[in-house]
Amino acid sequence: MDTQNTRRDFIKKMTAASLAASATSIPMASFLSSCSTSVPKIPSTADTVILLWMAGGMAHTETFDPKAYVPYEKGVESKRVLSTFPKIPTAVDGLEFSKGLESIGSVMDKGAIIRSYKSADLGHILHTRHQYHWHTCYEPPQSVQAPHIGAWIAKELGPANPVIPPFIAMGQRFTVGEAEELKAFHSAGFLGTEYGPFLIPDPSGGLESVRPPQGMSIKRFEARYKLYKELAHTSKHMESGSDYQRKSLMRSMEQSYRLLNSPEAKVFDLSEEPKEVYDTYNTGRFGLGCLLAKRLAMNGGRFISVSTEYEPFLGWDTHENGHTRAEKMKEMIDRPIAQLIKDLDESGHLDRTLIVLASEFSRDAIMEGRPGEQVKDQVDQPDIIEDEKFYGMHRHFTDGSSILLWGGGIEKGLVYGKTADERPCSSIENPVVIDQVHQSIYHAMGIHPETQYTIEGRPFYTTPDGHGKPILDLFGNPLKKDTKKSSGFT
Amino acid sequence: MEDFNWIFQFLGRFHPLLVHFPIGLLVVALFLELLTLGGKRPGLREGIHWMVYLGAGFAVLSAVLGWLLRTQDDYSGELVDNHQYVGVATAVFAFITAILLQRTLNGKLPDSRTYRSGLIITVLLLAVAGHLGASLTHGEDYLSSALPFNNSAYDHSKGIALLAELKNTDSISDAQQDELNLEVRAIFAHNCYQCHSENKQKGELVLENKEGVFKGGESGVVIVAGKPAESELYKRISLSPNDDDVMPKKGKVLKDTEIALVKLWIKNGAHWSDQALKVFPEAELALVKPELPESGNELHPVDRLMDAYFRNHGLDWPQVVDDRIFIRRAYLDIVGLLPTPEKITEFQKDTNPNKREALINTLLGDTHNYTQHWLSFWNDLLRNDYSGTGFITGGRKQITDWLYTSLEANKPYDVLVKELVNPTDVSEGFIKGIEWRGVVNASQRTEMQAAQNIGQSLLGVNVKCASCHNSFVSNLTLEQSYDFASIFADSVLELNRCDKPLGKMAKVNFLYPELGDVEAASVKERLSKLSEVMVKPENGRLYRTITNRFWQRLMGRGIIEPVDEMDNEPWNGDLLDWLAADFIDAGYDLKQLIKRIMTSKTYQLPTAHYGKQSEMKSNYVFEGPILRRLSAEQFSDAVSQVISPVYSAVAYNPNGEELSAKRIWHPEMKFDRNVLPEPGKRYFRKTFTLPNRIIESAQVLISVDHSYVLYVNGENVSKGSDWKKVDKPEVSQFLKTGRNTIAIEGENEGSMANPAGILFSMEIRYDTGERIRVDSDESWKSLADAPTGRWTSIEFNDTSWREVRNYGTSNWGELVDFSFEGQNGEFARASLVQQHPFMKALGRPSRENVTTSRDDQATLLQALELTNGEFFNHVLEEGAGLWLERYGDDSEAIITELYRKSLGREPTADERGILLAVLGDEPKREAVQDIFWSTLLLPEFQFIN
Repeated sequence: MDTQNTRRDFIKKMTAASLAASATSIPMASFLSSCSTSVPKIPSTADTVILLWMAGGMAHTETFDPKAYVPYEKGVESKRVLSTFPKIPTAVDGLEFSKGLESIGSVMDKGAIIRSYKSADLGHILHTRHQYHWHTCYEPPQSVQAPHIGAWIAKELGPANPVIPPFIAMGQRFTVGEAEELKAFHSAGFLGTEYGPFLIPDPSGGLESVRPPQGMSIKRFEARYKLYKELAHTSKHMESGSDYQRKSLMRSMEQSYRLLNSPEAKVFDLSEEPKEVYDTYNTGRFGLGCLLAKRLAMNGGRFISVSTEYEPFLGWDTHENGHTRAEKMKEMIDRPIAQLIKDLDESGHLDRTLIVLASEFSRDAIMEGRPGEQVKDQVDQPDIIEDEKFYGMHRHFTDGSSILLWGGGIEKGLVYGKTADERPCSSIENPVVIDQVHQSIYHAMGIHPETQYTIEGRPFYTTPDGHGKPILDLFGNPLKKDTKKSSGFT
Repeated sequence: MEDFNWIFQFLGRFHPLLVHFPIGLLVVALFLELLTLGGKRPGLREGIHWMVYLGAGFAVLSAVLGWLLRTQDDYSGELVDNHQYVGVATAVFAFITAILLQRTLNGKLPDSRTYRSGLIITVLLLAVAGHLGASLTHGEDYLSSALPFNNSAYDHSKGIALLAELKNTDSISDAQQDELNLEVRAIFAHNCYQCHSENKQKGELVLENKEGVFKGGESGVVIVAGKPAESELYKRISLSPNDDDVMPKKGKVLKDTEIALVKLWIKNGAHWSDQALKVFPEAELALVKPELPESGNELHPVDRLMDAYFRNHGLDWPQVVDDRIFIRRAYLDIVGLLPTPEKITEFQKDTNPNKREALINTLLGDTHNYTQHWLSFWNDLLRNDYSGTGFITGGRKQITDWLYTSLEANKPYDVLVKELVNPTDVSEGFIKGIEWRGVVNASQRTEMQAAQNIGQSLLGVNVKCASCHNSFVSNLTLEQSYDFASIFADSVLELNRCDKPLGKMAKVNFLYPELGDVEAASVKERLSKLSEVMVKPENGRLYRTITNRFWQRLMGRGIIEPVDEMDNEPWNGDLLDWLAADFIDAGYDLKQLIKRIMTSKTYQLPTAHYGKQSEMKSNYVFEGPILRRLSAEQFSDAVSQVISPVYSAVAYNPNGEELSAKRIWHPEMKFDRNVLPEPGKRYFRKTFTLPNRIIESAQVLISVDHSYVLYVNGENVSKGSDWKKVDKPEVSQFLKTGRNTIAIEGENEGSMANPAGILFSMEIRYDTGERIRVDSDESWKSLADAPTGRWTSIEFNDTSWREVRNYGTSNWGELVDFSFEGQNGEFARASLVQQHPFMKALGRPSRENVTTSRDDQATLLQALELTNGEFFNHVLEEGAGLWLERYGDDSEAIITELYRKSLGREPTADERGILLAVLGDEPKREAVQDIFWSTLLLPEFQFIN
């Protein structure tokens, strides 16, 4: 495919001018006293992150960490139901997934799985609050607005390709329930709107966001910009005041013009894909999001998220009919995700692209929250299931869930941590918390764990107090190996 | 290998000894070398050579030992890194110099210049490496601290004076005891807290408070009152700087005077003062209204103060701006709108010498527009918004109604503050904060939010840091924050440090207890007391803070920046205090404060030119107002004024007419849940009965997202495809006595499910004066699939149709024009509109937290929104249509009007030429739209000059 240039070729093709335009960083609000402490650069293993977001709480026992299968029959006890699907083998010996995830299973030899993620204990369970926490690493509310992990990465690394916004969020609409809570973390927070997400709710219309306004030809678009510049240069009426303010405005206009007028905007055009490829990915907006994520990753995207979309009680948020709905959700994600991994692997991009699949927490048929904490049950689940709509994982479980990772330096075929085989299916080995997940992503991207900015006198770190540590085992733990080699010296 | 590590460690420790050899040898070698310049004193040559060889050898050896020292003993940090790099460079250059010397002697080099240069470089590097090394051993400020003008550290002069004073007396007074203790605590603060604070208790020792100091650390008590020699703390600080046990560690040593003060304090019984230690500079609480300086020409108080300021800074008064610039500023600052071309001309022609003041008075008198403009400032400051987190579960409350009417009434500021702090139902949203369901961090409980927000918004003090731990940036302690928050708490609060309970209970106290007691049994009584205490004129902080905010708002930069940190140094303290005191004297009148500032010549100066942004931050000197970008609201309203309404629906309607019509659509379900409607056509019906009387009029209001066809009793009446435009057909001719039917075919557009809805209202007036309303509501029926038969007719049987669903207003807001009162020609002011991606891109903050300064820098996302954003382009397209209707194909008129309306001036000949070339003789809608865009994005339009 002729659009599949390597990133290197791509950058080579960039005109000098557009590089120059993007190199001039735009300062933040005048008095946000922000200065990063001089943390050393660390080597990176990835240039791009793709976050595949399973919105609404994906049950680990129904997907990537199946337990004993109890088929549906009228009168089955809820407490017997651990998984509602049989297990299937994957490409990794001994690693089993739940039925319906055969394609993702087939690419597990290229990635790793964390089976012991523990969500925070935030009391009463509210999806958007846990999602806020997952995406920012801070529990809401905060005294200042916490940035999304994508905004941190955009701020620290900037765009990998000057014409592609460094933080792109796909799949989520903001007209659904809890929209305000969703907006609260789809934000660059105090880092400033410059680093905020470029939102593409419908990936099939992604191109619209990066080309001249609808109905405007390139010719007219160019003429309009020329007219603007001519008028700006002719105007003699702005002689007082400071130049940098005017320049900053003109520069941002120039940048936007270049982006919208650049031939590279075609990256956003899914119609360029051959029909078979398009069809393979097309399981709906999520699948097409994976396809656009692939194109972006191959052409210098920086942080790209693709969400199955959160809408209260829909998607993975199964409050009833859990079994049938999980089946549908698996159909939605299985093929496109596997294809994304394969395509990036074949083109060689997987080496420098970190793909993370996660959800805010898991689900269980019985337990709301986690063992030892009293939280209000949000779903009525009968002890004896007389109707199939009660067959499935309908309660919110925060003590164990799965995170999948591929590429960008991740050890291949690794299974990290585990959950109990009997209820409660909690993380019982190498429990992982969100700080470690974020730091592992930053580690891959070469962002120092103690990166911070001072806002309102407070040092605000990427993870609270800068305490989070990456899980080095995910990267084949070079430190452990080093320690062995050099043990004589310590 | 491990067994031999001691050897390396031992060798490493020779580094400090050995480094003196190369220093001595190479420096003397260079000195002697200089003496031999020009071939003099040949007798020295042999000695010099030996010195260079030996010096180079020792330099290399020192570097190696230095490296061992660093790796075997735990040294780290930037200083160590730098010392290492320069040290290694010195060794390398010394070695090269030795080789160069060798080659010179062998005749392989033409002359000795290369070698001598090498030697000079080596010695220079040596000096730097030596200095860095010394800094490691003796502390970074070892040299500079001896300089008389060094004030990079804290102000220790009081301590030195105290030491001198106490040295000569035997008896020490109580006051002196207090003073001595505070000095010692300041020494701890600046030298010891870094490791020995509540937050970081190295060796389990805390020197931040009395308990900690007297409890001691893991090795026991550190202070023995009266006996310095037995006090571990004194022993450790008075050790030799090279001793391993010396404190403070990390290459820092206490000054002799500091050590002496600590000794003196212990000797005198280690008294602990009740006074709070003020480590950080803190502004005086009280205001002192300064005398106005005598000034020859200036009459306005602000100008008299600024005249003195300008003289002190050797600056001259620039000329004030012309009428055109002034009127634009004045309009945008007071009412947030552009002056119309007529107003500008009128103002320019006005010969009244006091016309500027008169204009300010007129604008301040325009209560409606003043309120709608300043509302945004207060919404930002008081974290008030129409949408946002918390509302969904009732964990947040608006204060819009209260705020709007307060601004309308120009409530005095003290009353405003009292009503915020001691609120009624309508104003309690401010201290109520935002409550999320579930467990939140102790520092974010709503009582603490109240303390933080009152601190930040009203008092310009940062309580946020100190609500988690003792502040690192101010004198506020965790305890003070909890005491403050307790005022708002129903129950006693337990102190939490970094979310961990401390087992200590908070008392009830205001941050500035000297202003008065706020203790009382109930929250209500406490709030009442607090509100009285806070607004006392003695609380200069409250009035300085608001005065400074207004100054920043009108002049582009505060007298103190950041505006939330009112303990920072003002660039003109007299000016700030005078204005704040004047504000109190004038009855806390906010409009009066605006007038005070705006009538000054200072406000009317041209915007100042600063080459770099940094000049506005530190060492700022006032030379004129700062160029300001139009705010999101100002820009949007200006476009509404000039081109076409940007917004047509508000989230808050100050006219308060409650709508009875609901926005309805077919109920869309998925898994038994209500979801967003899918794109496609839906069919709606409503049947009703009318009495047998003569209808005078039947007015319909209809707005449908996305498009509709309306039938009344089977007759096609109207259609439309823009929900923002309210269609108002008159339908009396289609109505009849008895049963009537309204039928609507609605269509939702787009590629995925998205909000859709019909808003319909019909008012039927009878000659008797009676009125009947038919509104869209849950009594309507709908169908998803195309109905068969005459579904728009009265007779059609719709019993199988579903009941519609009410989709609420949050996606659309309240249409300003959805009213039977007829067109009032008003557009929705942006300040009343729900947060929107366009506003957000232009910098309107999401008011999840108090926001006191907006990001006014242009960003790429913003430029994208303006360049290809569908929303903005649609507004311009609509506007182009309107203008073409108004001006026909008169291109000249379009250009002139555009410039007059947007920029307040006639286009120049050049500009006219450029624009005419685009429009031509028969201007097209697209061309008009493009000249709109190009003009509205000009810096001249975007900035307040």
